[in-house]
Amino acid sequence: MKHSQLKEIIKKKASKIEFAIVTNLKNGLSEIYEPGKSLTKEFEIYKEQIDNFFKLKKNGVIENTEIFIETYIRPIKVIIVGAVHIAQYLVDFAKSLNFEISIIDPRGYFASEQRFPDMKIINKWPDEAFKEIETNENSALIALTHDPKIDDPALQHALNKKFYYVGALGSKKTHENRCQRLKDAGFNNDQINSIHGPIGIKLGGRSAPEIALSIIAQLVSETYKK
Amino acid sequence: MKNSFDEKILEEANDWIKTNQKVVLATVIQTWGSSPRQVGSRMIVNEKGDFSGSVSGGCVESAVVRECIGLIKDNKPCKKIEFKVSNESAWEVGLACGGEIAVYLEQIN
Repeated sequence: MKHSQLKEIIKKKASKIEFAIVTNLKNGLSEIYEPGKSLTKEFEIYKEQIDNFFKLKKNGVIENTEIFIETYIRPIKVIIVGAVHIAQYLVDFAKSLNFEISIIDPRGYFASEQRFPDMKIINKWPDEAFKEIETNENSALIALTHDPKIDDPALQHALNKKFYYVGALGSKKTHENRCQRLKDAGFNNDQINSIHGPIGIKLGGRSAPEIALSIIAQLVSETYKK
Repeated sequence: MKNSFDEKILEEANDWIKTNQKVVLATVIQTWGSSPRQVGSRMIVNEKGDFSGSVSGGCVESAVVRECIGLIKDNKPCKKIEFKVSNESAWEVGLACGGEIAVYLEQIN
């Protein structure tokens, strides 16, 4: 692989573009392919198979050939509501995972760049903030403020957009009250029961990094169930 | 759903090259049986044998490092190697998991 190609791959990863690296294992030739775009002569006969690998979101060698395909899919959008202590550890743990994190918090002291360097922080109320983020059923929400004013609008947005993962911090009692408010707002039982509350898998720890770890573990587990 | 990890090995390879190291990229291209790492898993090796990342659970990395150094010495662009249970070198380095993997090595230049 040429160094220029490596740099191009890194650039494409950083800009969250979907692409594949196609390599001829016999002669070492490789190129970058973007769905919908054309391939050079070397690889164009494999276009259909490459597109198929994309559909299945997998890597591998095309059967009976020496052509290896590695697909890069867009990272999953994870929206954290509440730029709290736990969120700082979540950001740390998520560094080696394929998640694109945005943090929403209308409270200026929390949503500071000093607390979250190099992160996308939206210092607005959720209703306004979600206008800036395109979300769908491939998105995840982690609500951490346990303040109904901030969490509830975000939870409603996530349920309406059918996020594949919705988790909300708070005790059992806090969660019961939350479920009742959502019921009053017109959400059905299936929707409400899809919320992971209290959030996270049971690890036993109660410190900020331990709660963050339990949330990340649950998020990864749910991601593989998709 | 594809894996949710991003180990940033390619980014690290770029950092190594910037400091004038010769880098070979090793990628798992096929697996059979109970191999620990998925297809697409990567490691990088420089001319001194420093390495980062993984292609197995520590079973075959030493052999991969040797192969990568050889590739740099012989100035070859690429090579495919397979580690099978019946493969002598795999036994030597201990592919304890009982799996089989194919690894593709390529120099970045």
